[in-house]
Amino acid sequence: MVSSSVTEHIWELLKQVPDPEIPTINLVELGVVRNVEVVEGNIKVIITPTYTGCPAKQLFVDLIREQLAASGYHDVEIETQLYPVWTTDWLSEETKTKLLQTGISPPVADNKPVVCPHCGSKQTKVISRFGATPCQALYTCNSCLEPFSYFKCH
Amino acid sequence: MVISIDTNFARLLVRLADTELILAQRLCEMCSRGPFLEEDIALSNLALDLLGRAEELYKLLAETEGKELAADDYVYRRNEREFFCYKLVEQPNTDFAWVIARQYLHDVYAKSVFTRLLQSDNSKLAGLSEKVLKEIRYSLERSKDWMLRLGIGTEESNHRLQFAIDRLFRFVPELFAFDTVDLQYIADTEGLIEEWKMEVSDTLRTANIQEPELKSTHLRDSREGFHTEYLGHLLSEMQFLPRAYPDATW
Repeated sequence: MVSSSVTEHIWELLKQVPDPEIPTINLVELGVVRNVEVVEGNIKVIITPTYTGCPAKQLFVDLIREQLAASGYHDVEIETQLYPVWTTDWLSEETKTKLLQTGISPPVADNKPVVCPHCGSKQTKVISRFGATPCQALYTCNSCLEPFSYFKCH
Repeated sequence: MVISIDTNFARLLVRLADTELILAQRLCEMCSRGPFLEEDIALSNLALDLLGRAEELYKLLAETEGKELAADDYVYRRNEREFFCYKLVEQPNTDFAWVIARQYLHDVYAKSVFTRLLQSDNSKLAGLSEKVLKEIRYSLERSKDWMLRLGIGTEESNHRLQFAIDRLFRFVPELFAFDTVDLQYIADTEGLIEEWKMEVSDTLRTANIQEPELKSTHLRDSREGFHTEYLGHLLSEMQFLPRAYPDATW
């Protein structure tokens, strides 16, 4: 295969690697995979962590290796870059919709109201600024009274 | 084995890294001891942020020093006198008000320091600063919220927060005792002190807490490896496993 089609193939494979904590979205959608470089047959995947202390950091690397090895790419270099800094601005509208359907309220900027994923109400309040994972916060809905996770704007 | 720190840039990094690491360890001790479940989870998440930050700083330190040591060597193979964290962050979790006051005083300081390090000549430190500032600002919002909640909550919570602030303020002057290493890398330290005082005074006033006077103490400086009695105990627990079973791996 020529390198451009290898690159495309790798991207396709990476889109099948689910985020370990939110499996409905993949590592490409999450913005963790930054680039794929294929130079003279050497494959390099550049990733960035969501949070410096994210416990899934090592798991990202392992899952990527496993996925690529399953398709015969055994010799892959995975480089972690901190800069440019990961941001929830990289989540597409489509990804945000997926989050909402999973029951996780997607990030909203500029103090706009956080939407309840259960009933769609904008009458919600923060319970704790940290939730089940470092990237989430705990909210509750004032309308349907259900608790939910909010994907922090970062 | 003594791990020496050889350059001024490395000295700056080790102070930053040790401070974040030791505060992370203190917060880890709160796991399962939080006042309620959500807050317990929040403290552990905060510990993760601090630990992740420390790890990146140690990696940069290891790279800068180039002695074939890993981040873990710096964490597990140095003794108390070889640590350079500020005394503020090694203070124990006496009660929840101490945990919050310590965090708040740290967050205000860390925000000013890392903001200045955005201008660092070292592009990795500048990039890392941009990354961690997002987390520090978030933490500061939370710790400030709690300062207000405890300060203007009940008579008891106000009393406890006042006690914590009174005790912890004795470790504040050390933060501002900048030496030649700090002055080489952290710009506008005078402005930093002003910023810190304004922010903290404003919060304490709003929280109905009396601001203690900042008095210089005769405590020797952590920049030279001097600490309070609490650091040694913390390290003995944190370092136990790798010391007892050298080179153990997961």
